[in-house]
Amino acid sequence: MKPNQFAPALLFICILPVVVFTQDAREIVRQADENMRSNSSYTELRMTITKPTWSRTIEMKTWALEPEYALIYITAPARDKGMATLKRKNEVWNWIPTAQKIIKIPPSMMLAAWMGSDFTNDDLVREASVVDDYEHKLLGEEKLGTYAAYKIESIPKPDKGIVWGKIISYISKESYLNLKSEYYDEDSLLVKIFNGSQPKTFDGHRILTRWEMRPQDKPGNSTILEYINVKYNIDLGVTFFSEQNMKRIR
Amino acid sequence: MKLFLQLAWRNLWRNKRRTIITISSIFFAVIFALIMRSMQRGYYDYSIKMSASMFTGYIQVHGQDFWEKRSLDQSMTVRAEDFRRLEHLPHVTQVVARLESFALVSYGDVTKVASLIGIDPLREDEMTHLQSKLVAGQYLTYSSDGVLIAEGLAEIMQISVGDSIVVFGQGYQGVTAAALLPVSGIVKFNLPNLNKTFIYLSLKQAQWLFGADERLTSVSLMLDNVANIDKVEKTARQIFGPEYELMTWDEMMPELVQSIAADNAGGVIMMIILYVVIGFGIFATVMMMTAERQREFGVLVSVGMKKRILMFVTFIETLFVSFIGVIGGGLISLPILYYYYLHPFKMSGKAAEALQAFGFEAIMPFSLKPEIFTEQIMITLIIAICSVLYPILFIRKLKPANALHG
Repeated sequence: MKPNQFAPALLFICILPVVVFTQDAREIVRQADENMRSNSSYTELRMTITKPTWSRTIEMKTWALEPEYALIYITAPARDKGMATLKRKNEVWNWIPTAQKIIKIPPSMMLAAWMGSDFTNDDLVREASVVDDYEHKLLGEEKLGTYAAYKIESIPKPDKGIVWGKIISYISKESYLNLKSEYYDEDSLLVKIFNGSQPKTFDGHRILTRWEMRPQDKPGNSTILEYINVKYNIDLGVTFFSEQNMKRIR
Repeated sequence: MKLFLQLAWRNLWRNKRRTIITISSIFFAVIFALIMRSMQRGYYDYSIKMSASMFTGYIQVHGQDFWEKRSLDQSMTVRAEDFRRLEHLPHVTQVVARLESFALVSYGDVTKVASLIGIDPLREDEMTHLQSKLVAGQYLTYSSDGVLIAEGLAEIMQISVGDSIVVFGQGYQGVTAAALLPVSGIVKFNLPNLNKTFIYLSLKQAQWLFGADERLTSVSLMLDNVANIDKVEKTARQIFGPEYELMTWDEMMPELVQSIAADNAGGVIMMIILYVVIGFGIFATVMMMTAERQREFGVLVSVGMKKRILMFVTFIETLFVSFIGVIGGGLISLPILYYYYLHPFKMSGKAAEALQAFGFEAIMPFSLKPEIFTEQIMITLIIAICSVLYPILFIRKLKPANALHG
């Protein structure tokens, strides 16, 4: 579950693998996680942000070295082309080509929207390990569309500082695809829903290539991620994720 | 009726000294209360004016929900003809358009969050006297591409005139706002939170930066007098449809409303104390007068005067005393108030320095609002009616036989 760059965001959001309670549940989550992940990856993706009165599409390339490094390069729209976002451990930098300048995002802005999407800068950076930071429980099996899926409840371990109260995820029996995740806050109110669809195989990893996130408190808002191309286990070193490279990358 | 008035009037002047003492206690109380209230009210209006002209104006027009969400997505377009109509509304003295948003500002290794405000430099200066706050560099022109940065922010970030800052944020409908902008001037504000966050740029530049062509986040109106706010709000409402929100200064600055309310409560307590003293003064005089006239009342009732009529005459007497005092006090204080309305007190000391630091004249103008006068007249009337209850009850219980024997 580490398709790329965006992986960090996706991880929290989409992947909910977890461990603990039932060996079964933990194993299912681990499988799903492993399926998406790889040590390093390159992804081309398209993000469509929809708000009640407007929408816009951003295309980007991302490189990721799990779990701490990611680089995002914006290829469209034209006005934003060339901008790059670098994530290194828990810090985020932006390269602004029009000003020829790198800006480090200050802590006060970490909760601001990233590129106008429903993701925050903090989402890019957070290091929650989906498998280890939650306790997982198999609630049962359900049919979701054409898939037979496991329904798993994941509750964060108290010392991990995770904002969610619980996450309910549906993982298909076949290929361990994370078809749907529901995020609940501490009062058990549904906050956002992730829906995955359109499975494809890249480099032997079978993954869902379309992810739609709908915040429940903002009707009419959604963010859709579509994976256009994914490469796994590419040759990337830590040095790739440097401020210098952020300016050079195409 | 005329007879009763005549009777009451004559009764009053039968004991001149007593009447004059009562009248003058009311007279001075009214003068004192009027001056105090006029000063307070005048100062409130002045503080509202100062605060309003600092940034918000008396009335602001926004896109719907802008005030709450503070997002460029709630910005608005205002047709040039509507803008002109707004300017020509009676009582409107200034109309100032702005486009504001938050963004990251970076210079060297320092990055801060700042409030970027796109302005029409001339109009802004007319309202907020921005140009007078310039401590270094050049003021903006209508289409200049530079920025004015608040002095506190410039100091934290080590920016001086001629440097260029990087601005990075989110513009209208999710576009990326990123630019390298030269600093053309530094402005100093005395309110720390403005001085650490404000960056001004020309409206054109801001609209380009945030990808919000022709859009505004607010239009502020200044008026000739705060008293005309309701009238102007009503007419402005007719220009702007439901997709706009109109807010008045008290909605935008609730903390000012609260501090005025707190101060006003103090003034009201002073007034209550004053009027309790006056009230007992009037009451004591009325009581004395009644006791003195016990025999007189006895005789009148024995020879056939109806008690009702006697009560009525006593009532009129009290009204006479009260109104002579109130009207006399009002007439004497009017020229005093008017003089200070035109020539406000100059304040001195710490309070004056604080005001001057904000760029305002340290004065204390008086208010000539009619409600200050009507308020006093109403209160005095109520006191008179309350005190007249005593003789009325006295007369009702009066037994002529006892009264005559004292």
